[in-house]
Amino acid sequence: MSLVYDVVVIGAGAIGTSVAYHLADRGLKTLLLEKGDIASGSSSHCDAVGLICDKQPGIDTKMGQYSIDYYEELAKKFDFDFEFERKGCLYVCETEPEFEAASEYMRKQNEDGYPLRMVENKELCEMEPHISKDIFGALYTPPSGCIAVSPYKVCFAFVEEGKKLGMEVMTYCDITGINLDHKTNAVESIDTNYGRISTKRIINCAGVWAPEIGKLVGIDIPIEPRKGTNLVSEKCERLCNNKILEYGYMMSKFDGINFKRKVSKLVEDQNIAFNLEYTKACNLLVGGNRLFRGYDTRTEIETVKAICERAMRFYPELADIKCIRTYSGVRPFVIDHLPIVSDVDSVPGFYICAGHEGDGICFSPFTGKQMAHIVMGESTDFDISSLDYSRFVK
Amino acid sequence: MAEYFSDDMIVCRCEEVTVAEIKEAIRQGAKDVVGVKRRVRAGMGLCQGRTCEKMVQQILAQELGAKPWEVGTSSARPPIRPISFGDLANGVVE
Repeated sequence: MSLVYDVVVIGAGAIGTSVAYHLADRGLKTLLLEKGDIASGSSSHCDAVGLICDKQPGIDTKMGQYSIDYYEELAKKFDFDFEFERKGCLYVCETEPEFEAASEYMRKQNEDGYPLRMVENKELCEMEPHISKDIFGALYTPPSGCIAVSPYKVCFAFVEEGKKLGMEVMTYCDITGINLDHKTNAVESIDTNYGRISTKRIINCAGVWAPEIGKLVGIDIPIEPRKGTNLVSEKCERLCNNKILEYGYMMSKFDGINFKRKVSKLVEDQNIAFNLEYTKACNLLVGGNRLFRGYDTRTEIETVKAICERAMRFYPELADIKCIRTYSGVRPFVIDHLPIVSDVDSVPGFYICAGHEGDGICFSPFTGKQMAHIVMGESTDFDISSLDYSRFVK
Repeated sequence: MAEYFSDDMIVCRCEEVTVAEIKEAIRQGAKDVVGVKRRVRAGMGLCQGRTCEKMVQQILAQELGAKPWEVGTSSARPPIRPISFGDLANGVVE
């Protein structure tokens, strides 16, 4: 049996499924390979929102806004329902200095045309009747800049819609080698447990596992797993109307924010940033944190305690709601907090589309569309040269 | 045993998932308990699959022609039983 494809996409998470869908949509004979099941890695061990207000001003936010709007278009176009919903987001500021720092961020985003605004204590308590009454204020992002989706349904949707366009999928696939042309170093084929697959183009969308695929073609991809944990509540009444994040989230995500919170050593050590959302299934998701722990995704009891401790500060009514499950996943972290969406000069036909850290769900539609432009040799919808792999090649 | 299940029978009581929905998840590519859970929520509710997991395994085994122990289990995650966020916050961690 001869397996020949125009393009092979590796990894069936939020990025790989989107990339494969967009390539199939452009008429390429596309194969999606996945070492486990669809959405079995980071894309099913995450939260369920896409935001602009957790992005750095500039290209980071621009990609977020593009993706959020494009999600709405896809939700209308697809038969497969991935639970798209617009909602608002509140970055809650415990103290005045946090409020000032968030105001500064708001001003920068306003200059670029994003309608974020500050809300003071009284308005915050009206918007969120269950929040602690002494929270200083919040940064509000209207539904134009915040959405909710089911992250794994996004992956299934891209797969099912892609299949209609002729895309093929092989799950539980082990990749044992990638063969390159001896003279040109260009991609020729992939060896798998299903046999040899011939292709001139490979897109590495393996997220935190992308470095392993990179090794098969002799390149170093600087992505590290950054762990996060979420807690799931029993079904309960709607405790929050918006997606809630504490301003400290920015500090847990980015370096160089010079600000100290009054929190316990446990919360500090666990790098906790409280966030809360109410899902379509009427559960609460309570998070979260960022830690480097290798590929270990077991839940740590210290993390669970620290998240709950921090959650009590903002939503004391959580004390009587039950937690039914915890889960941890790993984000594909890149040192400059921008993904790699790029071809690779030294290996013609090899592309990288990985390293979205905690933004993979949010950036999924945007990234898939741009990767299709790159593969087709077209210009991207706007300048994304800062996502080029060459920034890491010395 | 699975051959006696009718399609409209509810397997996961917490999330109200039927035999037909589980079969559809398998048709969409689910090969194990976690794959079914992710596609149709069987085992995602209050009891976390304590009641339905055995039946989901049997349906998987029947549909895929596999042995029940070949179709996996849900991942083990704390807590063992539902516990309030307040108790978790106040608990001692050693």
